[in-house]
Amino acid sequence: MAETKDRKSFLDKDYTRRQFLKLSGKSLAGLAISTSMLSVLGVTKEAVAEDKVRLWAFPQGLLVVNEDRCVGCQRCEINCTLTNDGCCSSYISRVKITRNLYSSRNGHGLYTEDNWTYYPDTCRQCENPACGNACPMGAIYADELGVRRVDTDKCSGCGACTQACPWHMPTVNPVTHKSSKCVMCGACAEGCPSGALSLIPWDKVASAAQEI
Amino acid sequence: MSVKNGINGWAGTILRVNLTTGTITKEDTLPKYRPFIGGMGIGYKVIWDEVPMDTDPLGPDAKCVFGVGPLTASGVPCSGRMNISLLSCWSKGYSILDAHMGGHIAHAFKYAGYYAMIVEGVSDKPVYIKIDDENVSIEDASHLWGKGTFEVNATLARENGPEFDVASIGPAGENLVHMSTLITSFGNSGGAGIGALLGSKKVKGLAVRGTGAVKIAEPMKVRLLSNYMIKDLVGGNNNHTVPCHAQSWSEYVATNNRWQGAPGVTWDKAPKGPIDSGEQPSGVINVAALRCNKGVFDFGEVAEKYTVKQGGCASCPVRCYTEYDMDPLADYDLPTHVSNTCMPIIKMLEWYPDHVDANGEKVPSTHDFVDKGDAKMILGGAGARAADDYGVWCNYGSLYEDFNMAYTTGVMKDVIDRLNPGEWDEIPWHLMEEGDPRWMWECYRRIAMKEGVFSDIGLGTYELYQKWGMDDASKNVAGINFYDFVNGKNFNIGHNGYPRHHGPENCWQAGTLYSMMYNRDCMIHHLINFCSSGAPYNEITKPVLEHFFGEGCTDPQQHYTPINENKIKLAKWAFIGKQWHDSATLCNWMYPMTIATSKKRNYIGDLDLDAKYMTAVLGINYTREDQEKDSERISQLLRVITAISFKLNLGSSNLRKDHDKVSEWVFDKQPDFKPFEEGTVKLDREDWEKSLDMWYEAMGWDKETGIPTRATLEKFGLADCADKLEELGLI
Repeated sequence: MAETKDRKSFLDKDYTRRQFLKLSGKSLAGLAISTSMLSVLGVTKEAVAEDKVRLWAFPQGLLVVNEDRCVGCQRCEINCTLTNDGCCSSYISRVKITRNLYSSRNGHGLYTEDNWTYYPDTCRQCENPACGNACPMGAIYADELGVRRVDTDKCSGCGACTQACPWHMPTVNPVTHKSSKCVMCGACAEGCPSGALSLIPWDKVASAAQEI
Repeated sequence: MSVKNGINGWAGTILRVNLTTGTITKEDTLPKYRPFIGGMGIGYKVIWDEVPMDTDPLGPDAKCVFGVGPLTASGVPCSGRMNISLLSCWSKGYSILDAHMGGHIAHAFKYAGYYAMIVEGVSDKPVYIKIDDENVSIEDASHLWGKGTFEVNATLARENGPEFDVASIGPAGENLVHMSTLITSFGNSGGAGIGALLGSKKVKGLAVRGTGAVKIAEPMKVRLLSNYMIKDLVGGNNNHTVPCHAQSWSEYVATNNRWQGAPGVTWDKAPKGPIDSGEQPSGVINVAALRCNKGVFDFGEVAEKYTVKQGGCASCPVRCYTEYDMDPLADYDLPTHVSNTCMPIIKMLEWYPDHVDANGEKVPSTHDFVDKGDAKMILGGAGARAADDYGVWCNYGSLYEDFNMAYTTGVMKDVIDRLNPGEWDEIPWHLMEEGDPRWMWECYRRIAMKEGVFSDIGLGTYELYQKWGMDDASKNVAGINFYDFVNGKNFNIGHNGYPRHHGPENCWQAGTLYSMMYNRDCMIHHLINFCSSGAPYNEITKPVLEHFFGEGCTDPQQHYTPINENKIKLAKWAFIGKQWHDSATLCNWMYPMTIATSKKRNYIGDLDLDAKYMTAVLGINYTREDQEKDSERISQLLRVITAISFKLNLGSSNLRKDHDKVSEWVFDKQPDFKPFEEGTVKLDREDWEKSLDMWYEAMGWDKETGIPTRATLEKFGLADCADKLEELGLI
């Protein structure tokens, strides 16, 4: 019960990024969230109640993923690869929309009966990362901010990380034969033109949390 | 670097798929094709080199060329278009033209490592072309033949896997219907008869996966330029740069345009509750996609009720395809998911002309469904889905305008009764008269299956008018020349079988000039975009345009002035700029960035942006002058090929007389006005002839024939074109 009480009040009290990290990626359904916070996050109470919005704690702020706002433009993948790979690509992007856009493994996408359901998948930066645990080379490590990164000197490109990740987010680059995964650079959210991905700076989150 | 080849921006390889032999080969693009940029330019060069202009467009020797360009899938916004060049099977002269499609497949194609694909020969059984990175194959499509594009695309995607994008032709293409398309994504189509060409080769579709990447010389510069464009320059669809509902940050409010997003304008059918468009200030990236609400622009507030979200093409922050769930269509057992934009969805009421009831009264054929004023939208959605499923092309609205005019003037009944007695009574006209959305499924089915004389509409305007006597007042029961006659519905810009696409009605002599330069509708949006951007004419549009092109280059709406040098300069910029966009490839609905959203820029756009992108992507110093020279080279090739087609297929040696002839209604409409008076868009015959003289001079063409001179062609490295023209006695 204590945990429930704590979670229900979580978004309405003074909190830190560390506390957010504990909540990161978990369901927000059932949480009491103030109007100010809803406004800052750009989401509705209904969307939270129906578990349609996901939050991920990044060093720069809170990443909000709102599926209904995704318009399928793939600019998240474009900005990810321009920033991290010096090229433009979908497949090696650390954020994934293309695989959900046409005929996803989950049965939605433009070429299915559920045509208008498509959205970006993002890395969860798991506290106990399946990708890192599965890597036989020990190539996935946490940096000083807690961001899971790939040490390309160690990576053998075996793909164990891709298979182990429940969401198959790390991708072995078919040219470099090295795994790549999200490094929380924020380029995807910064360039998202619909707000399906948005990065709310911590000071804004903190400020909204002070308001009832 | 994470790419498979070392050439910035260029994917490097042309695929050649020979369906007769089943061979697939790969060629390097750069040595031969660099001067032609990509997309349309490569397509024209391949056709010029390999396909004689008197080739049967649907015969075994015909080819088509799929092409993307240096900016496609480079990260540059609105770079998701694919160009397909082919010989026309339907317009006067049977010359070169293009199908263009958006969606996502151009990105997949280039990520797979290809710059163009030449499709040649004929398969002996239905096939589809599978591109899986370096593995390209011709696959059996027997199980897909005869099926609609939605089912086929779903099957191709399911069979090949989640990362494959797909495209297919419908029954119309299989049956060699001239007005036919290739459909990708959801409602994104290449038209111009590409369906018939692929159908003639037994190619049902494509499946493409690209796991590679496009190498970028200065990736962060591309990202910064893209951010700058989205923040300061680009507005809503057609680059409408002023919101049409008041927003607190905006100095101006447009009367009506495609920037419909605003507080209170919602996507009501978003699964987890309505999404409010909110404000979308200039300078903010994360709301740019909420600016355009094409549904509300097309159909009014009632569109919000059925809007799930806004869709569009890869890389584009401006979403011009409203994605609907129109439940009223379920009552007719029709699909409720619909998405399209512009002509294929907004003009469907043309299929429902008024009819005469049992009392002899002329009565409307449509009715609202649930809400007041929703008929246009519900019928639009049903018709768009039907057309796309059968793979029928509308020729920028001419298909249903031709139907409407032939029906209402009695020509259609007369022709059908004479050519196929009994057919008229078998057509379920009650569906039309009752405003039933299934009427359009019936119309498109008949056209796609070539069922009866009714289906002649699918020949396209040029051959339809010949067959039904609509090109000569003495040959049809209405006594009308349908190319020339004055009524609000006449879309024909000339006598070639295609319509204006923002010609004299918005863009004075300039729009009329470039509307005449192609072998299909021109699809040029350079001028209409700033004409209808919502920016006030005297305060923004005129000073910005005169800043770029000099005094008197532009006219206010419905108050035109006589032709002058700067108008010609503007028209030429637009004409050659279109070739640039279809070669680069960039979306001409959005580019160029003529007027900006940003007040701090004094709303002045950036016409050098495309060249800046080229420099950042390719790593070479590429200027606007380079861009215009390359674009003009392709424009000259278009004209040369057109001249040769007209010579070989029609015996014509004069494009001015036989190709560039404008319909009479352009000069005769609004009889109460004189040309250049305020309130009219009619043009003046004498001024038009002067405009042509000046245009040909600006393009380096002979004033009498409208054909490029040798000096002009040699200036662009096209001496071989001059040799051929000389051989045919055209210069």
